[in-house]
Amino acid sequence: MNATEQTVLVKASHLTVRYGAKAAVDDVSFTIPKGRVVGLLGHNGAGKTTLMKAMVGLTHGEGELSVLGLQPRPQRAQLLEQACYIPDVAILPRWARVEDLVSLMSGMHPRFSAERARSLLRRTSVGLKDKVKTLSKGMVVQAHLALVAAIDAKLMILDEPTLGLDVLSRKAFYEMLITEWCDGERSVLISTHQVEEIESLLSDVLMLNEGKLVLSISLEDMEKRFVGVSHDAAVAEQIAAAHPLLRYRTGTGTSGNAAIFDGAPPEHVQALGQRIRPSLVDLFVALTRKPELDRTHF
Amino acid sequence: MNKLLPLLRREWLQYRFGWTLMVAVPLGIALLLLAFGEIQIGQDDAERVGDNMAQLLAVGSMAGSAATLFIIACFSSIIIVAGMARRDHSDRSVEFWLSLPATHSASLAAPLIVHLLLVPAAALLAGLAGGLLVSLVLVTRLVGIGEWFSLPWLDLLPAVFALAARLLAGLPLAVLWMSPLILLVVLLSAWFRSWSWVILGVGIGLGSQLLNRVFGQPFLSDVTLGLLRQARAALVHAGQSFEMGKDSGTEGLRQLPAWALNDFVLALKELPSPLLLGGLLFAAGCFYLLVMWRERGAGATG
Repeated sequence: MNATEQTVLVKASHLTVRYGAKAAVDDVSFTIPKGRVVGLLGHNGAGKTTLMKAMVGLTHGEGELSVLGLQPRPQRAQLLEQACYIPDVAILPRWARVEDLVSLMSGMHPRFSAERARSLLRRTSVGLKDKVKTLSKGMVVQAHLALVAAIDAKLMILDEPTLGLDVLSRKAFYEMLITEWCDGERSVLISTHQVEEIESLLSDVLMLNEGKLVLSISLEDMEKRFVGVSHDAAVAEQIAAAHPLLRYRTGTGTSGNAAIFDGAPPEHVQALGQRIRPSLVDLFVALTRKPELDRTHF
Repeated sequence: MNKLLPLLRREWLQYRFGWTLMVAVPLGIALLLLAFGEIQIGQDDAERVGDNMAQLLAVGSMAGSAATLFIIACFSSIIIVAGMARRDHSDRSVEFWLSLPATHSASLAAPLIVHLLLVPAAALLAGLAGGLLVSLVLVTRLVGIGEWFSLPWLDLLPAVFALAARLLAGLPLAVLWMSPLILLVVLLSAWFRSWSWVILGVGIGLGSQLLNRVFGQPFLSDVTLGLLRQARAALVHAGQSFEMGKDSGTEGLRQLPAWALNDFVLALKELPSPLLLGGLLFAAGCFYLLVMWRERGAGATG
């Protein structure tokens, strides 16, 4: 991620967040410039939620963390006036009507536009008079995004906002996010398990593995750095000898094999197959699984 | 931007239906019973009050209605406040509230202000207004509608309003006296959920007995009873009780505002005391621990 010429919205330097003795986020450093859509990827328990909570001042971290030029923990309320945060799926208060929430947000957020919220809600199947408890999970998520997207913020932080939703609801959510919120100036940090679905939306990716940041890169640079080679099963051993990050099957039959290398593999290895673009999912698996090769070292 | 007002408004939006029921149901039942039920007044009682019957019925209706709704509101508010620390956990909306730009202290203070001060005060005023209607029905049934219109309202209303004002002015003082106990319950319910009342009751009961019998120190029971006594006195009857002679009529009513004012001044004079100072320090400590609990809980949820 090249942040040198751009305004940095988030800067973390050697950030560690502990729960007791366990470091949920371990010595993490990264930046998020403006106008980026950043995917935060990691397995369950990798530290994604903890990192996001630290970024909005809901948990305490050691090291340096600056979000929109503010210190999240002591300046949480001030920060949340400029950043919006969806911490989970379907967490709107069940007793409220949607119009109550619009009215409450108008009072709470100096940058919230009730008119825009109503306009965004009109594009969904959610009515202003609807009670949250009568809405489906997908509709609650749509309503929540409409409310949050009506905040003129610089940064949006979304923690698995579509978890458990059907494919139509997920699609509607991401469509609204991209068309109604992302404008090239604002940044989004989004964590999800549906990596394939959001890959096309992302400009950058942060990968966490057991609290450690294993990758912080733009998708553009990722394509340059990581090389995939598809090959026949017959040359699998020669490919393995070149120590790829990951070997996997791409389909059935003897030709459905591929390997991912960090950096260009040697010429003779490239000649064994065909160069392909590794997907984000494959790279995620490559960087966050416990490599089988490690077991042979014991 | 003042975040407290929207937080106060949230309470209205969340509880408005319950509050409407809390006011409408008792008043509705009273009106129905008085309108269609049988009302009997003993011969002796009727003779005792003599010509003041309509007047007493009107004052009694308004004062009774206001006091009933006030007491109901106080009890319901105490129950809501006791569970306020965890109320948003059941539907997980605590995550939503934490994502809004309000400080933890404002988020905790708003429900306290609403449920301990505004709701009882509003219930009292609603009770007064409803009491007027109740008095109309009652006087009409027992004496005749003409008597209601010919009541000495210029004497009655100031007396009733003086009583209401006394209660309203005493309410914040009573809350101050009760704040250590109330905030302790809120804190206990944050830590121990529904066990808070049990822990408080057993803690104070057993603690008092233990301190008293083993160490000969009635400190805990004295403090608890002292706080309760002062809270009651802050609301009404801090000094002498008001007595109206049976023949005093409107003359007696005219003395009520002065009595109410004097009673309130006496309640104010009770404020500068080590008991209140210590209680407020304890309450502030409980509030601080609640803020800490919410702050830490925010990091742990989800």
